[in-house]
Amino acid sequence: MIDDAFVFDCVAHVFNFDPKNAFGQAGLMFDNHLYAFHNALTPEADRHKLPAEEFLREWTPSDIRKMVYEESDTDMLVAMPLPLTDLFRDGLSPWESCADLAGRDPDRTVFWGSVNPLEGRKALDLMERQVGEFGARAFKFYNVRYDYGKPYPWRMDDPNIAFPIFEKARELGVNLIGVHKGVPLGPQPIEHTQTWDMDGAAANFPDINFVIFHVGLPFLDETCWQLIRYPNLYASIAATINFVVRAPRMFAEIMGKLLFWCGEDKIIYGSEAPLFHPQWALRAFMDFQIPEDLCAGYGYPQLTDQAKRKILGENLLRLHGMDVAEARTRLGTKS
Amino acid sequence: MSELPRWARDALAGVYDPCCREKGISVVDMGLVRSVQVEDGVAKVELLLTSGWCPFAATVLTQVKDQILGQPGISDADVSIVWDEAWTTDRLSPRAQNILRFLPPPSAVPDRDAYIAAHTQPKEQPP
Repeated sequence: MIDDAFVFDCVAHVFNFDPKNAFGQAGLMFDNHLYAFHNALTPEADRHKLPAEEFLREWTPSDIRKMVYEESDTDMLVAMPLPLTDLFRDGLSPWESCADLAGRDPDRTVFWGSVNPLEGRKALDLMERQVGEFGARAFKFYNVRYDYGKPYPWRMDDPNIAFPIFEKARELGVNLIGVHKGVPLGPQPIEHTQTWDMDGAAANFPDINFVIFHVGLPFLDETCWQLIRYPNLYASIAATINFVVRAPRMFAEIMGKLLFWCGEDKIIYGSEAPLFHPQWALRAFMDFQIPEDLCAGYGYPQLTDQAKRKILGENLLRLHGMDVAEARTRLGTKS
Repeated sequence: MSELPRWARDALAGVYDPCCREKGISVVDMGLVRSVQVEDGVAKVELLLTSGWCPFAATVLTQVKDQILGQPGISDADVSIVWDEAWTTDRLSPRAQNILRFLPPPSAVPDRDAYIAAHTQPKEQPP
């Protein structure tokens, strides 16, 4: 809990930044982009700001667990794999490590599975395994691969690639799917991280809730229009929240726009630990107010305490079929 | 926005910022071309970027130059990005405005729900 807000973090990765894990320059570029994010957005004075040699290493489930639960006010966490086997030998955040992380705190940590839909039958089989043997409660996907040294994109509205995956999720009783959008990393072409394909996914699978990660930045207006029109679309501010200290004005405009157009029930917090230590952004977010001139001059709503509670935990709890009272009781946290 | 010569508009109608290629919105529709002037066969082209962070500036610049150089009577082209003017959404062509649907500031929207209803087409029906 931070103040009176229950914190359910929608994303932490068990990163393996060991250079030997990267397939050549493309993988190393990806690693370096992530370090650049860490370095640029972590406040100078924060003791968790790391030099490259301490950041670019193999992180362990124990590291992530300590950072999230012992060093921050986080109550629950999503352990999220990265299936980037095009750029990294183990995908960069191997699903087995994430299942391990979730298994250490089964009441607190939720495992999301991840597969490469371009692998067809193999991907469907792995989904069954991740749900059946490891208790995956949702899935996260990445639309751009970089196989054979060139981009291999796939779309969330592709009836041949994506829809069988969604149908399999539905069959397995999973109705929550996240997707990386915006924020291209390494050699990934930005046009394939755009959100245009989310309309088709949302319209064809109204019983599945989709979370657009990073609010699709920089395509915020488009993402807002999609959230407006589809009740089963949500936006995660993972990584976006980390602008709160270094670029508070920009963060205020993003939040103001999301709150006005999409509403506080549609926004979900994520830390991206260990890319960013969770605590500094959590504290800054709880203390954050949208500047008065933006509210008065442009009509943005204020980021209220109620909105903060929903964004930090209640919305994701709801998507996972839980509520705050139940979660607090289960974890023994006080209100 | 100053008027661009017809020949230049036509020549650049197939040049895209990668962010807008999928939507079929050219650099002309985006309002990225501020001016095109020709003197003694040398074309001087001024471009605006939607954002100073645009990672595609070099790509767009090269494509614009190649297209202009391919036009009759053009022997050379000086294509540059200008920074003394900010790109704004009113530079979009009506077609681009309709496709991209940038959101206005909330203060310009007396009734949010009415605005959305007026600008939302019926939802796509699954096949």
